[in-house]
Amino acid sequence: MKKTIWTLLSTLIVLAFALSACRPATPTAAPDTQVPATEAPTQPPATEAPTKPAIPEMCMGAQPGDELTVMYVWSGAEEEKLNAIFKPLVDTCGIKIVAESTRDAAVVDARVQSAPPDILFWPSTAPLDLYTDKLVPLDTVGGVAENYASYWLDLGTRDGKWLAVPVKADIKSIVWYSPAQFEAFGYTVPTTFEELDALVEKMVADGNVPWSMGLESGPATGWTGSDFIQDILLALQGPEYVSKIISGEIPYNDAGVLQAYQIYYKWASDPKYTVGGAEGTLNTSFLDAIYKPFASPAEAMMVKQSGFAGGEIVKQFPSLVYGTDFDFFPFPGAKGMQGGADFMMVFGTSNATKAMVAYLTGADGAATWAQVGFDLSPNKLAAGKYTDPQLAKKAEILANAAGFTPDIGDTIPAPFGEAEWKAIIEVLQGGDIQAALDKVAQAQAEALKK
Amino acid sequence: MLPTITRQGRLVPWLYLAPALVIMLIFIVFPVFNTISLSLKDKTGTRSAEVSCVAGEPCWGKFENYRYALTHPEMTQALRNNALWLLLMVPGTVIVGLLFALLADRVPYESLAKSIIFMPMAISFVGAGVIWRFVYHIESGGGKQIGLLNALLLKLGANPVAFLSNPAINNYALMVVGVWLWAGFCMTVLSAAIKGLPSDVLEAARVDGTNEWQLFWRIILPMIAPTLLVVTTTMVINVLKIFDIVFVMTGGNFGTEVIANRMFKLIVTDTGRSMAITVLLIVLTIPMMLFNVYRFRLQERER
Repeated sequence: MKKTIWTLLSTLIVLAFALSACRPATPTAAPDTQVPATEAPTQPPATEAPTKPAIPEMCMGAQPGDELTVMYVWSGAEEEKLNAIFKPLVDTCGIKIVAESTRDAAVVDARVQSAPPDILFWPSTAPLDLYTDKLVPLDTVGGVAENYASYWLDLGTRDGKWLAVPVKADIKSIVWYSPAQFEAFGYTVPTTFEELDALVEKMVADGNVPWSMGLESGPATGWTGSDFIQDILLALQGPEYVSKIISGEIPYNDAGVLQAYQIYYKWASDPKYTVGGAEGTLNTSFLDAIYKPFASPAEAMMVKQSGFAGGEIVKQFPSLVYGTDFDFFPFPGAKGMQGGADFMMVFGTSNATKAMVAYLTGADGAATWAQVGFDLSPNKLAAGKYTDPQLAKKAEILANAAGFTPDIGDTIPAPFGEAEWKAIIEVLQGGDIQAALDKVAQAQAEALKK
Repeated sequence: MLPTITRQGRLVPWLYLAPALVIMLIFIVFPVFNTISLSLKDKTGTRSAEVSCVAGEPCWGKFENYRYALTHPEMTQALRNNALWLLLMVPGTVIVGLLFALLADRVPYESLAKSIIFMPMAISFVGAGVIWRFVYHIESGGGKQIGLLNALLLKLGANPVAFLSNPAINNYALMVVGVWLWAGFCMTVLSAAIKGLPSDVLEAARVDGTNEWQLFWRIILPMIAPTLLVVTTTMVINVLKIFDIVFVMTGGNFGTEVIANRMFKLIVTDTGRSMAITVLLIVLTIPMMLFNVYRFRLQERER
């Protein structure tokens, strides 16, 4: 009895060994056959190399297999677009991109302090001030400055060194409207702030509601109001004024800001000017506000919203056609564009790094960026290369802009943006505008204090 | 002969306690002291809080962040709201819970009724917040009211109400969600206490001719008082820490700010202030915890 158990057990063990021996046999066999296959193509170039320069010029001396470490905030569909933009360079030079995607500034900081990536893409110029000494001037790694408007270069310059270049931009100073509605009522697209004001009054006189506004956005409630007010500031005061608010030279309770708030309050709180009056503005989510001018029947004539609104309109109303059913115009009279931009900053000096910088700041990268349609490329050479008509129009607006200002709320250190949103809500709830602005000015001073 | 180690010496009890003590030290004691020290620092968490003092304005020196936590309008509003939450939501959940526990005890479909009341506890609080946002939704302009409550109001001929942005009612609207979420918890615990009452006492009272009203006030309530107290203190701590509902539904806007929400909003942007608020929250919950420990000791002694 005991013996049979032992034999059974030993056969089982043998079987188990045999099985485990079989399993790895297939994977090990596969590499065996692959190794010669990979060796074969690598050998010929080794012999051909001396006869002709294998490395194309755009690679700036980078060898196939060279690694390029990059960090950025994009993921998902956005990352796919970025990879499509990188593809021509990657395919030509055979460089290997090692990417890390994070939205966390703390992660970036940890990496920069230990092993900085060759290239960092970031949605603000904040890293410029943090790592001024660690960053490599772009003109020393193949950056082509002449392809950018001077205000872009100014945004990326510290201590006289050109350290950051915008690769991607989107504009916020946009008003969406329905050309069909405008035509039906005989309205024309305004080009100055006075014309906009007159148009709004005319719409009210006709019994139409000019604006659709929606502040609601969960914990970020208020940002659409802050965008709107900044556009009014850009029209009435200009980009320099906005830059001075960002730097703290002009306090947020200045007369110019007060005037902008008064105009905004008039438009955002009266049911004749906006859907549902102040209550509507406070309770409507920013997405619902985008839909209202394009619903049937239309609830409003216009909605001021960033470039992304076009995509949202199509998602909600798939039958609407861009150009006839919905279209946009730059915020009338804005003397500079408000928008978001992603900047490229460089820590490495390898050939692969140079190849990437030269590619993105040069003609090829600009054209690919425009064709892929990853928002706009601030590179001048991207002009005319866009395949998407909406992007082409935005690019034209941006190209004609005299200046560019980032979002005030996003640029001043963090507690400020919240104070700004709070003030807008307070004002719409009937609070005193000057008192609300005084509080924001205090937050502005506190946030900018070193 | 037993090995030496198992003999009770002076060191042996400490040996048994060591793992728990080490874990406590790392995960509770150290963070508390770290939080306290950070609460005396500026917004970056590196320099003393004194640097954020503004000339010509009151300054508490090292304790500047506590000046913010106790006197800044943003915080006084949060403190007021938290007090309101305590005042209304704690009795709200306990009374509703007790009511359901008592009533459910008397119906044949008890388990079904209790499951329904308890169900909200099974939903994530964030999910509950999202659900109630839809319930309270108000549609501006001529669109249909898709929010349940406003659709009802409209049917009844009333005007839609902005439940979440109207400062006169939004805090109460949020508390309704809180009660909806937590009443199930109170009900379950209290129901267990009622079920645990010795039936002979209840029967004796009934034989002696008490009516149900007297039975509740004179017999049941005193007998479940210890449980009621535990439930209440637990709810006080829960409500002090209230965050999810407010964060999801209003983000603390429109005058609905609460302490925990302020702490969260500042955690990235102003370490010092956020930590000062955290310490304040700890200080507020400590009496409740001490009280719970005291009750626990008392009960142990009675055994």
